[in-house]
Amino acid sequence: MLDKNALKKAFPVILLTIVVAISVNLLSFADRLTRPQIEAQQQLKIQNLLTGMFPDMSRYDFKNDIYTIYSDGAKIGYAFIAVGKGYGGDIDILVGLEDDTTIKGISIVSHSETPGLGSRITESFFTNQFAGLSIDEVALKRDGGEVDAITGSTISSRAVINAVRETAMEKVKQLDGSE
Amino acid sequence: MGNFMKEFAKGLIITNPVFVLALGLCPTLAVTTSINNALGMTLAVLIVLLGANTIVAAIRNFVPSITRIPIFIVVIASLVTMVDLLFAANFPDLHEALGIFLPLVVVNCIILGRAEAFASKNPILHSVADALGITVGFMLALLMISSIRQTLGTGSLSVFGFHFFTLPILGKQPIAILVLPAGAFLVIGLLLALFRRTGVMKSD
Amino acid sequence: MTELIAIFISMALINNFILVRFLGLCPFFGVSKQLGSAVSMGVAVTFVMSIASLATWLIYNYILIPFDLKYMYIVIFILVIATLVQIIELFIKKTNAALYFAFGIYLPLITTNCAVLGITLIVNTVEVYSLWQSVVAALGAGLGFTLVLAMMSGIREKLELANAPKAMKGLPIAFIIATLLGLAFSGFGGMI
Repeated sequence: MLDKNALKKAFPVILLTIVVAISVNLLSFADRLTRPQIEAQQQLKIQNLLTGMFPDMSRYDFKNDIYTIYSDGAKIGYAFIAVGKGYGGDIDILVGLEDDTTIKGISIVSHSETPGLGSRITESFFTNQFAGLSIDEVALKRDGGEVDAITGSTISSRAVINAVRETAMEKVKQLDGSE
Repeated sequence: MGNFMKEFAKGLIITNPVFVLALGLCPTLAVTTSINNALGMTLAVLIVLLGANTIVAAIRNFVPSITRIPIFIVVIASLVTMVDLLFAANFPDLHEALGIFLPLVVVNCIILGRAEAFASKNPILHSVADALGITVGFMLALLMISSIRQTLGTGSLSVFGFHFFTLPILGKQPIAILVLPAGAFLVIGLLLALFRRTGVMKSD
Repeated sequence: MTELIAIFISMALINNFILVRFLGLCPFFGVSKQLGSAVSMGVAVTFVMSIASLATWLIYNYILIPFDLKYMYIVIFILVIATLVQIIELFIKKTNAALYFAFGIYLPLITTNCAVLGITLIVNTVEVYSLWQSVVAALGAGLGFTLVLAMMSGIREKLELANAPKAMKGLPIAFIIATLLGLAFSGFGGMI
């Protein structure tokens, strides 16, 4: 037996349920509408980074966290993401390899280093130093390697360098093992 | 129409959400490292506040007071989710730069505050005017802070890829502290003091 | 274990919620004029942050992801927080009146505190922590929040008596203090 009072008491709950139901429906619609676009944007971002590094790239494969780069069917290199522990947090670095020993180039994908100091790891005068080095040459000059640190930002520089070298060695081993 | 203008204009100065009401400080400090981010945040707040004020004003007579806040929160959270998806699909760089401050618009006191204090008591047209005025006030504050921080903190000014100028001396050695978190507090503190000194705002 | 300690220190000091991430500023400038109430507020926020991180982690990983409902995360997280705050408030009110008067009065404010929604977003979508890491991160972030809130209130208690320029009194000088605290905390960077 539903009397008026009970209905009045239940009304707020019913109303809230209706509002949530409308919200879920609208959002799932919005999600379906935007999802292909969001995925395309992410693809595009990776592709832009890779073509910046391998201008001859015609297509790439992604398997076991390694991008294999092809130009007209021929393998021209590999790329992967290395994560360094910087001053302000993780630094994500895209590293390209020409072959098992030589670095093709690096680019900083994201970081949270101090603006004006550590953030200069993104500048080309620093990242260009890596191109053409062999993996074991990737170290600071004062540690016996070939890379100049950024003045005043040794922690950030070393974070990038160590992540590139260590991850590169690991990935080369992984590549050797799989072939 | 006179009322519309009145509700719009008060948001600019008299009830400027950032400087006078000290509302919405979290995003104000976090996204003002560059003008791009400030404008992106303004766009997000505009869409959500406009939507929230309109919907809240439209349903204000049906909603019993006991469920008012939960319903407002669901409405606002849904609007924010749409903006989040919209930005991810269309402006991926901006979406990444704003980070968690985009979903955090949900708890931005400006939005729930306006829905609760204004839109739940006023007709739709006035609520729209209120939303627009508050957003413009928010934008003015953000633009003021971000242009100071970006220009002096990086030594040059560029907006959405258009480069305007590079300062002499500062172009080479910018005042980097201004783009650090501490610099955000400094700029707002000095601006507030300046407004009080010049009489634009009342002192405590 | 080292990983957990690193997360704790990073959340509490290096990426301090108030001074570096700008989360929870409303209570920072609003409540923090008395040391006692600042600490109570901080404890209440830390408690809600930890429970909220645990609850949203479980919901996010066992419901939203498996059912492909990730896009609902904003709505779900804020509803979970609002519900938790209500439950905790009721529970404390019924069981411990003294505790309720000590920090129960701050609970309603916590729903819209960006620090709480902030930590649930950080542990689930930004850092993608495991369950234990999430709880430790929330505890660290909450304690860092309490620490800075307490420091600020201690300074502002003294500041009431200081002879600051008229235009700087109140909010402006509080911002300048926050600047100095922020600079001091940036010294924690690179600790890990």
